[in-house]
Amino acid sequence: MALTITCPICGRRNGYEFRFGGEDKGARPDEEGLSPEDWCDYTHNNTCIAGIQKEWWYHRDGCGSWFTIHRNTITNLEAEATA
Amino acid sequence: MNRLNRLPTLRVNPSEKLTFNYIGSSCQGVKGDTVATALYANDVRIFGRSLKYHRPRGLYSMDGECSNCCVEIDGIPNVRAETTLLRNGMNIRPQNVRKSPDTDIMGFMDKMDWAMPAGFYYRCMHKPAKLWPFFLKQIRKAAGLGRISPDFHMKGRYDEIYPNADVCVIGGGAAGMTAALTAAGQGLRVILLESRPWLGGFFDYRTAEYTPSQEGISRTLCERARELSEQLENAPNVRTFVHTAMIGAYSNNLITAFQTGNKSDAFDERYMEIRAKSVVVATGCIERPLLFDNNDRPGVMQVGCAHRLAQTYGLLPGENAVFSVGHDLGLEAVLDLYDMGVSVACVADVREDGQDPHLLEKLTERKIPFMRGWTAHTAHGSKTLEKVTLSTLSGAQHREFDCDTLVASAGLTPVTGPLTLAQAKLAYDNHTGFFLPEKLPEKMYAAGRMLGLQSPLSIETSGKLAGLSAAADCGTSLEHEIKQTREELRNLAGPVRGSKFVTAPVRGQKSFICFDEDTTVKNIDQAIQAGFDAPELIKRFTAAGTGPGQGGIPGHNLPLLVSQWHTDSGLAVQPTTVRPPLVPTYLATYAGAKHDMCKRTPAYESQKKAGGVMQRAGVWKRARRFSDDIRCQEEVENVRSNVGILDASTLGKFRIFGPDALRALERVYVGDMSKVSEAKIRYSAMCNEDGCLLDDGVVVRRGENDYYFTTSTGRAGQTVEWIRYHARYENWDFSIVNLTDAFGVINLAGPNARKVLEKLTDADVSNAAFPFAGYREFAIRDTIPVRVMRLGFVGELSFELHVPSSFMQTLWELIEDAGKPLGIRNFGLEAQNLLRMEKGHVIIGSESEQRTTLHDLGLGFLWYRDKPQAKTVGAVALRQTEHQEGRLKLIGFRMEDASSRSPKDGSVIVDSTIRGYVCSARHSFALNEPIGMALAEPQLADTDTRLEIFEDSGDDRLYAKVVPMPFYDPEGEKLRI
Repeated sequence: MALTITCPICGRRNGYEFRFGGEDKGARPDEEGLSPEDWCDYTHNNTCIAGIQKEWWYHRDGCGSWFTIHRNTITNLEAEATA
Repeated sequence: MNRLNRLPTLRVNPSEKLTFNYIGSSCQGVKGDTVATALYANDVRIFGRSLKYHRPRGLYSMDGECSNCCVEIDGIPNVRAETTLLRNGMNIRPQNVRKSPDTDIMGFMDKMDWAMPAGFYYRCMHKPAKLWPFFLKQIRKAAGLGRISPDFHMKGRYDEIYPNADVCVIGGGAAGMTAALTAAGQGLRVILLESRPWLGGFFDYRTAEYTPSQEGISRTLCERARELSEQLENAPNVRTFVHTAMIGAYSNNLITAFQTGNKSDAFDERYMEIRAKSVVVATGCIERPLLFDNNDRPGVMQVGCAHRLAQTYGLLPGENAVFSVGHDLGLEAVLDLYDMGVSVACVADVREDGQDPHLLEKLTERKIPFMRGWTAHTAHGSKTLEKVTLSTLSGAQHREFDCDTLVASAGLTPVTGPLTLAQAKLAYDNHTGFFLPEKLPEKMYAAGRMLGLQSPLSIETSGKLAGLSAAADCGTSLEHEIKQTREELRNLAGPVRGSKFVTAPVRGQKSFICFDEDTTVKNIDQAIQAGFDAPELIKRFTAAGTGPGQGGIPGHNLPLLVSQWHTDSGLAVQPTTVRPPLVPTYLATYAGAKHDMCKRTPAYESQKKAGGVMQRAGVWKRARRFSDDIRCQEEVENVRSNVGILDASTLGKFRIFGPDALRALERVYVGDMSKVSEAKIRYSAMCNEDGCLLDDGVVVRRGENDYYFTTSTGRAGQTVEWIRYHARYENWDFSIVNLTDAFGVINLAGPNARKVLEKLTDADVSNAAFPFAGYREFAIRDTIPVRVMRLGFVGELSFELHVPSSFMQTLWELIEDAGKPLGIRNFGLEAQNLLRMEKGHVIIGSESEQRTTLHDLGLGFLWYRDKPQAKTVGAVALRQTEHQEGRLKLIGFRMEDASSRSPKDGSVIVDSTIRGYVCSARHSFALNEPIGMALAEPQLADTDTRLEIFEDSGDDRLYAKVVPMPFYDPEGEKLRI
């Protein structure tokens, strides 16, 4: 509940306004030659980093844009990107 | 009781009377009174009885730190009388008493303490197990505080706000006010929280001299407090919330609190979540209770309580008082009360030295006996105080005094709850006897009396320092000012030595360390004897500090007392943990406003007038049916044989346009969207990544790169998010607009639908010019622009008219008028569902669930497999599950016996095991028999398979057989007329 998120359009806002969109896993893979395991990895399996991870958020009660932030999953606070 | 009504410190208006009711008799208080002071003014001395021993309890502190003054007000139990302002017409009752507080027949419990040692509840009451329920019942009856009935309805108006600030200051005393003013002076936005109904803290009720600055103007502390408070009022960027209790602190400097509203506010209580860049905690001190025998006797009260009772509320606590104090504030109170006419028999001070010589001088001037190194030993009096025994600290000498008031306090203790909640590290400080912050979280500062400061100037300067530091955290460069202020503070009086005395030399059988739970010093001894050595464990074993006061009374004494047992072990004195909420908070306050918010369609009024039974459906309120018949027979039959009109405005409606709009549609719709044309609607579905049905609707093209599409009612809210989510890596150029509320939708359905529409437009709506699945845009009565689709929907000739919301009501009335000669009538959601079921249409979430794929529903034909470049959501899973075995399939069924009733929704299909379940089943009027849809194992999917249906309410089985769908008009001829 203490999370605040910096929306690229609306600025730093209350975390309640946003919806989580999962880890940043890159663009959708090509369907050709895609094994069920790889597909499952892409859609369902997560890295679950204990630390700073890049992830998607949607400003549901705001501008309606999807964007990524870095968040420290241990403190549940927005963080600077790690090198 | 007469009020002292000329005091400069007064916070009540004695000329404005308020009337309230206390145990059946009408009483009077004055404006500004709390419930506790009003009762005190009406000579109520015993407010209630204690939890376990039914001991009489009275006014003790003034800030609701114990359950002594918890009363029932207007049916709400456990209301803290000390912090609740009196209102006209309040109905107040005492708690945990049989009959009245003065004559409580359970009073004999006080003699039973030998039978109830610490932990007796856990240790004695489990053998024999059979008797436990009996004892439980008796204990519940005898013990406890307020009563609440299970069907109690909480009255009042509750609200919530989520303000932001640069600096949040907790505590509106001198330090807090200075911190707020300092930060505001840097142009920052400041929020100041104060738990009492006014600012001022320790300054507010005192008339001692405020150390003047060089100009030599003499002012009282009270005047200084009001001066600061005025400055705050005039500071444009400070929001001050009084009567607001801080209840929680979380990471990221999130502060939670609740505010009690006054008469002119739109709420009784409101929950607050404050987000600030930096926080100043200046919560000051409360008093540390002095422990001696019968220290809970009504008539015994804390220094601040007696002092404020007189100065703030104009009420003298008694006529003959004895004081047993441990702090200079106590001596100040003696002088003030003496000057107001209280006769003071004696003042004992637990400190051997260190008193302010000026105060001692004044005591001598007034010939008040003063005894250093003495303490209250025993309070006497059967119900209220009559006499007190004082003793030396060692107990060697005793003296007795008659009195009706004993003002007792061991010293001060800082209110560290907010710091602890914020994960600050506290350490015991031997000089002040306080738990002081050793390491504060980032961007949090402490200031004022809670640091042990006593001199008014030191307190204000520490507030200034905290205010500057907090401002610096918001990005202002203030290094020089901070350094200067720190230097200034160093040259002022530092923290004062505090008393560490806890308990008088008594056996402690009736010395209460915690009033809420009736825990005595002896109970603590018992717990230690039983092997519990840490305050945290003793707290749990004896329940000390677990009551409504949240540890306000025993919070500091318990660790001090326990540490006396550990003097040799070198263990540090550790406070017990505090957790939110710091102050008892109504669940209703957390719940906030109960706004039942819903959307109404633009034809809501018409439907209501037509007798529509309006019900919530998702975010909407819409008509379920238009008669008392829950099966809606007439509505349904009228659609099948004549013409009906339905308000379908809740459908999701969207425009998507731009060069990449088609690619976005191809991504989320399983069908071939490149085939979408301008004169024809295309039905398609959206799946999730697992190939399970999420949504269905129609798409039409209205121009180059410009599409209009509909979604189901339930998905309208998430559609924009869904499409943008699945395009998030693509950098596509498209825009999407949610038109759900901008357009109303009327579905005109039935064999006579065309006859109605023809009357309203010159456009050719014949079957040849506007065939099934067509899309046209034309005007009704040459004025109202409509987008019209010929859809299957309920399985009859049907026109779906999309019209700008502002025209909806007019169009609705035009259609009703045009259809009147034909006997047009409304139909509602229930009729729609049955009509659609007869056509075998699924309702998402009813005939499908999270795991039901498009193939399972027999809708696999909607999936266009030759567009891998579109990377359609769900396509990979649809390919993988296409021939997967063992999946539940959607089947239609009829009852074997056509005269049988339909099975309940959700009944299971069984043989020797569960093989599936009924999704929905209804009596079909068109077929004149019950029909239904079920999800069942594929072995049961063949036509004519016998289904055995088990309902959880009965032993009888129902039998059905699988039939092909749709049930009604399988060839779809009626759609195409």
